[in-house]
Amino acid sequence: MMRRVGLFNDLRWTRRLSSPLPAAGEGAPRSRSAEGSAPASDRPTGTVSRAGAGAAARRLTLCLGLATLPAPALGQEAIVTTQLGNAVEIIDLPSRTILSTIPVAGAPAGIALSPDRRRAYVSRPEGHGVTVIDLEARKALAEVSLPGGPLGIGVNPVSGDVYVADWFGARVFVLRATPEGLRPDGEIATGKSPSGLAVTPDGATLLVANRESDSVSVIDAAARREIRRIPVGTHPFGLTLSPDGTRAFTANVLSDDVSAIDFAAGRETGRVATGQRPYVIAFAQGQGGLRGFVTDQYSNTVTVFDPATMARVGTVDVGDHPEGIAATRDGRTIVVANWGDNGLSLIDPATLTVTGTVATGDGPRAFGDFLR
Amino acid sequence: MQFRTLAAVAALATVTFAAQAHGPTRQKVSESIEINAPADKVWAMVGNFQDGSWIPVVEKTEGKGGNEVKATRTLTLKGGATVEEELGKYDAEKKTFMYRITKVDVKTLPVNDYSSTVEVEGDGSKTKLTWKGAFYRGYMNNDPPPDQNDEAAKKAVSGLYKASLENVKAKAEKGS
Repeated sequence: MMRRVGLFNDLRWTRRLSSPLPAAGEGAPRSRSAEGSAPASDRPTGTVSRAGAGAAARRLTLCLGLATLPAPALGQEAIVTTQLGNAVEIIDLPSRTILSTIPVAGAPAGIALSPDRRRAYVSRPEGHGVTVIDLEARKALAEVSLPGGPLGIGVNPVSGDVYVADWFGARVFVLRATPEGLRPDGEIATGKSPSGLAVTPDGATLLVANRESDSVSVIDAAARREIRRIPVGTHPFGLTLSPDGTRAFTANVLSDDVSAIDFAAGRETGRVATGQRPYVIAFAQGQGGLRGFVTDQYSNTVTVFDPATMARVGTVDVGDHPEGIAATRDGRTIVVANWGDNGLSLIDPATLTVTGTVATGDGPRAFGDFLR
Repeated sequence: MQFRTLAAVAALATVTFAAQAHGPTRQKVSESIEINAPADKVWAMVGNFQDGSWIPVVEKTEGKGGNEVKATRTLTLKGGATVEEELGKYDAEKKTFMYRITKVDVKTLPVNDYSSTVEVEGDGSKTKLTWKGAFYRGYMNNDPPPDQNDEAAKKAVSGLYKASLENVKAKAEKGS
């Protein structure tokens, strides 16, 4: 029983007890101490792979032990793009409060975090570009204009390069991180309507879901060249790596399923049926092993599956039109952005129950790596 | 399967690929009305997927599958245009259903990828009827013309919802 009571929950409990007292350490100082207490080398190497982040967090927890890990290290923030509200919200998950709302014009949708997790890169499909947000200062640092429809976005965990998919085209833009923000640095040809992106933990391989081509592009990140294209289900949108970085999973919006692919072997290895219009996938340890969690936009559910057997193991009811989904760094909470009714659902991956909700601005999408 | 067929047709019919993908920003509209009638009465008017007559612009409903998930219906509108729809969720106990449009001309309703939910919530002798929709604008690429942009899509859907809710309220309160 104790093993299921996560630090995340402990923290909430502590904070609830202390809430009548003056709230020392609320907000910003918390997140700063969180940054300071986790050495950069222990940060997730698979920045774009949310599953990788969870695995790294679990390793960290195992190494340090629960008792010695200072509570502020899990000051978990969700960086949520509220597309209809034209803003990015920084939300403190333990206290379930919005710490800051940063106006971002251009219908912000996609999000990725820098390898040191001090910056957020937000795609603006209607404003045509990317906004760089300083998460420490909680303000927009820079804006970069891009043509087409910038939507899916990811970061190379080794080089720090930012990849932005052009929804209206068949290319991924490459941008280099600079002290001032981002500098456009070429593009890579992909299949049609590239959507979700992920980069392997070693930074060598970029994977892109091509929505209109029903395929995944496997790209040599150093050569900036597609080396293989793997057919998957119909209209793949979200793409997430397994925690070990060896397999990729796509949520196939029109075939209502998830494809598992072995990208080294260049083939799809399995498929599992989901609810209607699956969108994005996250991974966390559940009862009985690793579990995949898929947002089902039209069913208002999260489908839970076993990635080893590709068998469906459960369904969790969430809010209206769930879209972005990710596991917290400690792997103990799955966070879902509900576009339709403006909130986050928090799911316990062990019990497969919703443990709480957080209200957000209008139209939260959080499409990408949005948990800090 | 209908979606796949549609995508294939679109691929043949359009020269540029970009027109196949929907716009990047989904919009939402939600309209509600309070009705001085019991929920059962309101649900009887709106809760049959095979009868769209509570929507004033609908002249005829033809379909199959009843109120089962994946049931289909074709609404023929006054003037002759048609809208093809599919039932996604149906819960008689909670008095709610969700459906999507599988085929509509943007000239009829300037939207793409439209899904919608109807909810009836009773409170004694009063009922709240809610109709909400999620959709993309009619024009699927950058720089939409004014009659197919986000605002035009929201205005058309909102107008449809308001007229329909007022129609249900008038009929339910009249006792017909």
